[in-house]
Amino acid sequence: MSDGLQFKQDLLGAIPSLRAFGVSLTQNSDKADDLVQETLVKAWDKQSSFQPGTNLKAWLFTILRNEFYSQMRKRGREVQDSDGAMTARLAIHPSQHGSLDLEDFRTALEKLPEDQREAIILIGASGFSYEEAAEICDCAVGTIKSRVSRARTRLQDILKVSGEADYGPDAISSHVMGSGAGV
Amino acid sequence: MNHDDDTAQQNVARQSGPLDPLGSNSEIGRKLKQFYDGIVSDQVPDRFMDLLSQLEAADSSRKKD
Repeated sequence: MSDGLQFKQDLLGAIPSLRAFGVSLTQNSDKADDLVQETLVKAWDKQSSFQPGTNLKAWLFTILRNEFYSQMRKRGREVQDSDGAMTARLAIHPSQHGSLDLEDFRTALEKLPEDQREAIILIGASGFSYEEAAEICDCAVGTIKSRVSRARTRLQDILKVSGEADYGPDAISSHVMGSGAGV
Repeated sequence: MNHDDDTAQQNVARQSGPLDPLGSNSEIGRKLKQFYDGIVSDQVPDRFMDLLSQLEAADSSRKKD
């Protein structure tokens, strides 16, 4: 019983990250929440197969990702939203989180192929190692690395960010703070 | 001064190297975090708490049977 309670607490704690990953995949907050719901039900049913002490977050991300791709296969490609739907429905409030350039970034992220988008999210935002991301995506570590690299290059192209390596941390932050849309 | 420049260049090379292509030193990396953390910090909808309580209740009633 106390194990079940702990598991429930752990699932609750993982929900914010799962939602963020879900939005990254589906580009739609309603669909992301449906995905999170499916993930929680599946995780609950399979909790005996989870090894305590291993990475619960990675385990849950794997379930969510598998669910996403299996839904996408079932529905064809309609899981992808048409232009602008994500921006309109996302539960991010511009007044709270900022700036025009975050909108630009989100639009740019939408333009990436799914495999690159999930790779750059897992590595750059969710905090997974390349090895963990490779396990979640069921592919080789080198594949993740090349997807992240391609995603980064593509985003830099779209956002017209260049020469990042030439800036130090201070130069970057003052540059970003000082410039509106990152153009 | 030269020495400082060398150190700075080494730092940049390390931070932008293959081990940390999306670190805090990268504009893409920081936007990515900003996008993601914005969603993470949203309030979790009640439906998920309700769902987990239902799953838990279903489990414990099954155990009593």
